[in-house]
Amino acid sequence: MGGLAAEKHIQYILTVEKRKDDFVSVVMEHLRMSGAYWGLTTLDLLEKLDTVDVDEVVSWVMNCQHESGGFGGNIGHDPHILYTLSAVQVLALFDKLNVLDIDKVTNYVAGLQNGDGSFSGDIWGEVDTRFSYIAICCLSILRCLNKINVEKAVSYIISCKNLDGGFGCTPGGESHAGQIFCCVAALSLTGSLHHIDKDLLGWWLCERQVKSGGLNGRPEKLPDVCYSWWVLSSLIMIDRVHWINKEKLVKYILDCQDLENGGISDRPDDAVDVYHTYFGVAGLSLLEYPGLKAIDPAYALPVNVVNRIFFGR
Amino acid sequence: MDLLLQFQHILQSDPLIDEVGFVHPTQFATLTEDSTGDAAISDGTTFWCRDHKLGVSTQAVLPLYNAAKRAFIAAMEEYKRLGDDGLESEVMKHSKALLLLSSDFGTAWNSRKLVVSKKQQLSMYMGELLLSALVLSCSPKSDQAWSHRRWVIKSITGKCSALQEILGKESELVEKIAERSKMNYRAWNHRCWLVSYMTREQVMHELKKSRNWAGLHVADNCCFHYRRRLMLQILKDSTCKLENASPGYSVEVSEVWKEELDWNEMLINRYIGREALWLHRRFLSLCWMKQFATNLHDVSCHSDLKISTSDSFNSFIDNELHLLNSCSTILDNDFEDFQAQATYSATYILWLTKQIPEFWSEFQEKLTIGNLKTMLSKVCPERSFLWDSLID
Ligand SMILES: [Zn+2]
Repeated sequence: MGGLAAEKHIQYILTVEKRKDDFVSVVMEHLRMSGAYWGLTTLDLLEKLDTVDVDEVVSWVMNCQHESGGFGGNIGHDPHILYTLSAVQVLALFDKLNVLDIDKVTNYVAGLQNGDGSFSGDIWGEVDTRFSYIAICCLSILRCLNKINVEKAVSYIISCKNLDGGFGCTPGGESHAGQIFCCVAALSLTGSLHHIDKDLLGWWLCERQVKSGGLNGRPEKLPDVCYSWWVLSSLIMIDRVHWINKEKLVKYILDCQDLENGGISDRPDDAVDVYHTYFGVAGLSLLEYPGLKAIDPAYALPVNVVNRIFFGR
Repeated sequence: MDLLLQFQHILQSDPLIDEVGFVHPTQFATLTEDSTGDAAISDGTTFWCRDHKLGVSTQAVLPLYNAAKRAFIAAMEEYKRLGDDGLESEVMKHSKALLLLSSDFGTAWNSRKLVVSKKQQLSMYMGELLLSALVLSCSPKSDQAWSHRRWVIKSITGKCSALQEILGKESELVEKIAERSKMNYRAWNHRCWLVSYMTREQVMHELKKSRNWAGLHVADNCCFHYRRRLMLQILKDSTCKLENASPGYSVEVSEVWKEELDWNEMLINRYIGREALWLHRRFLSLCWMKQFATNLHDVSCHSDLKISTSDSFNSFIDNELHLLNSCSTILDNDFEDFQAQATYSATYILWLTKQIPEFWSEFQEKLTIGNLKTMLSKVCPERSFLWDSLID
């Protein structure tokens, strides 16, 4: 087994950015902001962010901002909290948060909080614990958590906890590793992890590891590289990562690489994409794979970027 | 004729189209040959439509998408600039075409919400449910399409007398889509979301109705989770309305649990080594112990729902230990499934002892915990990190 084909992945990320004419890339254009975050964070973890034209990216990001303060997934698209966090994260990577009108962005995010403490994704009112995490992460990066009712936000998240220790989208929703990441990270960022039964949740999370070493996101599902991130980061935040077999997981992620053309897929021999490339590399970073920058499990940004935000580098 | 016009013309000329699919050009040729004349619309290369099913050639998807997007953006700009009612139909027409090709194009869904909420006509809201269902026929996991349905339901709640009927149909739609799209989280999440809008009778009816489906799809954790959602709703209703309820009500609720436990045990014995079945049992047993089983030694814990049979706690434990014993015998044939069964049964018992301290002491008397650890280390060595931490 070879190691991480870092150079190939860098080339893959850089070329996929330029590809604009096939259906797969075209049909993703409404979420290009998230794509940018996945691709650029991968490059940063691989210490290659300097190959990107900062001014070009920053001006494109700012062109996606709506008058309400929120960001769309691309120029001309409606704003949504999902892309607002991606935009803030991309600017944070480049140390360019100063181009933002902080009040405008944070007012948009804070304005999406509902009376019960939950968050809507946009003005149309869909509620999901994903949006709670996004709001809290975004406001925390911009140091404006005081603009929302944190206590109510936390109690809403707790109301989405299931008897198996996991969390769903809304109260009574099925536990799902992606939602669990959002809830655990939101509780972590607000200093509320004591609401979690760590042994119970840790048990559910480590049962996601299947024989091949990969992790699935729910019972009876096939393993998938992206859950290396959702499950692993949650286990780290609740201090139960020693309950899984890390070596086997590293091997599983490496087995999902396209060694010829770069990129990482969900399962061995599937087609690669930017999303799984990012989550594969980020998962390896959490597993302390050599040659990768460390990533923060709650902010989903390189640790040095987080330190720069909070401690002025 | 222009590709987009042709697409929209077909959609308009048959408003009953309920399924759209994308077909590879090679399959296309056979489809066209098979359709022997009657009422099949086809140009032989791009579109094929019969019995209200529309097939679109995968080769046409990219140019169609580009045309639909251009038309949608132009219509939306005009509509925003002029605010003209006459432009609404253009926005609706082009967003529909676009969403069938790119189901998570949020801005197109939003444009429809904008138009419909301005008009406030029930028929338009119903039309949105139809369009969303059509999009789900080709993109069953589309987050935005499911979300659009919740927006419709929230918008018409309190304004529409047929809400209960609509909820029933929503539930049926999820089941229909779940049949083709296994373990579809978005679909089942939608069904769980509906529960808070249901009456008690509907919740009971859903529990009865979903049982057959769950029994046929024992690996689908989503459906079992849906049943858990329904059962917790029944429990919640019973604890907050206990004063007003008929005397037999708490018995009725415990019967629901008892029945589910028995049914689950039957499935566990029939389908060897299914994770979803054992996880369901964890839930059932935990609630059963906490809500209904009376432990004579435990006077501190009083629940109005507890059954006053003196031995319900002990007989429950005996039954579960019996299940553990019968499931942990590994036969040589079909080794893997039996090994999984042994692992699930032992982890199930361990999980229960961790959740219910009373169970722990009773359990220790009847089976030494050391045995459980030996067994788990043998049948499931890959999780030794967990066993080592949990059992000391
Ligand atoms: Zn994935």
